[in-house]
Amino acid sequence: MITRVRRHVLDVYAVLALGYLFLPIAIVIAFSFNNPLGRFNYTWSGFTFRNWLHPLAYPGLGGAIRVSLEIAFLSALVATAMGTLIALALVRYRFRGSATTNLLIFVPMTTPEIVMGASLLTLFLNWKIPQGFGTILIAHVLFNISYVVVTVRARLVGFDRHLEEAAMDLGANEIVTFFRVTLPLIAPGILAAGLLAFALSVDDFVITYFNAGTVTTFPLFVWGAARVAVPPQINVIGTAFFVIAVGGMLANVLWQNRRARTA
Amino acid sequence: MLKPRRKALAPYALLAPGTAWLLVFFVVPMYYLAKMSLEQGLFPLFTFEWAWSNFSDAVSSYHTQFVRSLEYAGLATAIALLISYPLAYWIAFRGGRWKNVFLVLVIAPFFVTYLIRTLAWQTILSDGGIVVTILKHLHILGSDGRLLATSAAVVAGITYNFLPFMVLPLYVSLEQVDSRLIEAAGDLYANRAVSFLRVTLPLSLPGVFAGVLLTFIPAMGDFINAQLLGTPRQYMIGNVIQSEFLSLREYPTAAALSFILMGGILVLVLIFARALGTDRLTAGAAP
Amino acid sequence: MSSRYTRADFLRRTAAGGTVLTLPGLLAACGGGSKSAATTAAGGGTQTMPKSMVFSNWPLYIDVNEKKKTHPSLDQFEAKYNVKVRYVEDINDNDSFFGKIEGPLSQSQSIGRDIIVLTDLSALPARMIELGWLEKLDKSAIPNISNLQPTQQHPAWDPNREYSLPWQSGMTGIGYDPAKVGGEINSVDELLTNPKLKGKVTLLNQIFDTMGLVISSNGDDPEKVTDASWERAVKKIKKAVDSGQVRQFTGNDYAPLLAKGDVWACFAWSGDMVQLQIDHPGLKWILPKDGGIIWTDNMLIPKGANAYAASVLMNWYYRPEIAAEVEDYVNYICPVVGADKVLEKTDPAVAKNTLIFPTQEMLANARAFDVKAVANLKYKKEFQKLIGA
Repeated sequence: MITRVRRHVLDVYAVLALGYLFLPIAIVIAFSFNNPLGRFNYTWSGFTFRNWLHPLAYPGLGGAIRVSLEIAFLSALVATAMGTLIALALVRYRFRGSATTNLLIFVPMTTPEIVMGASLLTLFLNWKIPQGFGTILIAHVLFNISYVVVTVRARLVGFDRHLEEAAMDLGANEIVTFFRVTLPLIAPGILAAGLLAFALSVDDFVITYFNAGTVTTFPLFVWGAARVAVPPQINVIGTAFFVIAVGGMLANVLWQNRRARTA
Repeated sequence: MLKPRRKALAPYALLAPGTAWLLVFFVVPMYYLAKMSLEQGLFPLFTFEWAWSNFSDAVSSYHTQFVRSLEYAGLATAIALLISYPLAYWIAFRGGRWKNVFLVLVIAPFFVTYLIRTLAWQTILSDGGIVVTILKHLHILGSDGRLLATSAAVVAGITYNFLPFMVLPLYVSLEQVDSRLIEAAGDLYANRAVSFLRVTLPLSLPGVFAGVLLTFIPAMGDFINAQLLGTPRQYMIGNVIQSEFLSLREYPTAAALSFILMGGILVLVLIFARALGTDRLTAGAAP
Repeated sequence: MSSRYTRADFLRRTAAGGTVLTLPGLLAACGGGSKSAATTAAGGGTQTMPKSMVFSNWPLYIDVNEKKKTHPSLDQFEAKYNVKVRYVEDINDNDSFFGKIEGPLSQSQSIGRDIIVLTDLSALPARMIELGWLEKLDKSAIPNISNLQPTQQHPAWDPNREYSLPWQSGMTGIGYDPAKVGGEINSVDELLTNPKLKGKVTLLNQIFDTMGLVISSNGDDPEKVTDASWERAVKKIKKAVDSGQVRQFTGNDYAPLLAKGDVWACFAWSGDMVQLQIDHPGLKWILPKDGGIIWTDNMLIPKGANAYAASVLMNWYYRPEIAAEVEDYVNYICPVVGADKVLEKTDPAVAKNTLIFPTQEMLANARAFDVKAVANLKYKKEFQKLIGA
């Protein structure tokens, strides 16, 4: 009886912890159905579907969302690729300059965003690089690399090298071993790093602000609009992102299950 | 087998793209920033003068905020670790096929911009809301107490917003722990607590190290939680740097403050790494 | 050193090999600062409309047709003048936006925008005039300038409206919930000292709003700030902060707190109150009896832009019927005479709202703030210290 309870303690805890994570999201979703008469979505005024029927009611909002998603996806991809390579180098090899490389990875994370954003802008100005989508992408890849390296490295450090040895004993060369043994085993780490990078990118404000030129991203739009309005549409967009992301993952799992069953 | 020469070049080849990016887009701007930190003058005329006084002045003017940032970031990181570890453990060991779904759920708050989730928290923790009312009934809060605009609110905000940064690295490390090792410990008469403490926890240390770094480091420089959830008495060094840079336009001071912050964080990270035993955390065993 | 030798100039030269620290290097640097500003579209002289323009503004500060997702006033302009206007809503804070554009402007590069909108009391338009970063208006293209409200025609920092034209104004006063406060409020002193309001009061984090109102409450003139009047106001605020009377210093995030009842009385902007009152008719807003503050967001032409095209666009928005279109949506304070007459027929509720078309009495009770005080570094630092940064 006691062991039964104990087994479920962790489950209960997980539910509570996830609940804590979701409490504000639940409010955000609820308020996406709010029907304020004015432009502020601060207090409950009644239920409506109109925000969901017209989610992109403000000109510029649709474009901002598209830019944010594109940049998040691209920067996560590029940063994860480059960051994974760096993590591999740092964990697998002893080489001259590894300490400096470690430093190079940590320091960007310690830099206050405003200073990083502004000094990057100065660089772009001095080198006459026009600011816009490209510079936002550069900036996002920049701050994402460190996060990817730290996350993937945590995975690599615990990695059992004997598996690779075994593969090579069985005749696989280094490249094959990497792709058939190593990569699949560190994949969860790479995926987690990619998700983190995506999340960081989609929510970034300060660094993006300085380097965006006249391009608007979703956070820029929200922060800018907040001076005069907080439309429920923003809640709708946030909810939609969340539902699509979770739904996508769910669909993936179900599809994998299907494959496993019919295999 | 790779020839020895090529093998020696392998790490550099792997490092090349990422480090090149960092060198060009980070190190070069940092060089300019370093120069700026030694300049003096009023916007927009700054002249380079080896003004080391910028650093000492910055520390003497703002040491309160530095210490406060350390307190808040440290507290938030510790709380985040306590909250996240069991959750990451659960996802890694009990998540089964749905692990990735839970991971996405963990980062889901980021899709809802910071401003909107903070507004939601302001609704939840409102002076007249359920949470405050319950706490008042339990006498945890005084009758004129509040949760918003307090240090508690700022720390809670930081903790909440950095939770995914703690959960994901912990998960990444825990998921890799071979359950057969835990079985083996059990076979050797260890009870669950002991096998956790002696097998799982040490194996998850790389994740703990990573999670603490990814939470503490950015939290030290945070400004937005103090700005929206705090009073002037809660302002952190991030707020100071914001104001020095944007409002006062004292770029040399802002640059000096940034370097002091960065240096301070790096020192703390080094101490922490030493305490945990770096080699185990940043380099795997050689093959 | 020439006054145009900026940080960016310096960085560029040192990047080119550290030559500045030698005497020839210094001389070269000093001489290089006076580059002319003509980079992109013709700076002055020509009076032809280009194919396209860029108008940077604050978000949701122009009329919106929510069904078609367009800005009708801009569409009408584009049709009439055969120009494409790219409308960019990337200004959300004066200092931040300035921090973004000062780089190129200090290097005499164009910022790719023909009109930008900044708040007068932030002292940044005045600064930009001083630094030579603005083009003059082409007044020959702005006959409608005669429609400008008389009170707006001669601001201290641009007495002849050579560089700027108001887009919208706003007033800063006291917003409060009479139900929670238990009565009416009509002065700043009440806000800062009434013990019933302890912990339920917020002030604004902008220097001209908060210091302006408090200086006025001391009977001093906010348009001519002296060390003495400044100190008196700082003391008053510090007392209220230390005692816990003042809960926070906010940007416009006082609005949700007021709406939810976490804040009972605060310094608030007229435009916000118009929106809040729609959902919360019980909320009130007043100009304090000792005087409120009125600020104006001004259209400016950055150096390197097409001054003629920008002027034509400005002129368009000074047509009463166009100003009425904008005002009907934006609901701040209209600088164009005659717009309220137009709205009396199409949207009388807006025309009668004194927060959008204030009475002469109200306007007499609202003053600007001394921009020299805003630009004063010592004052700025003291204020930042007061609000915590």
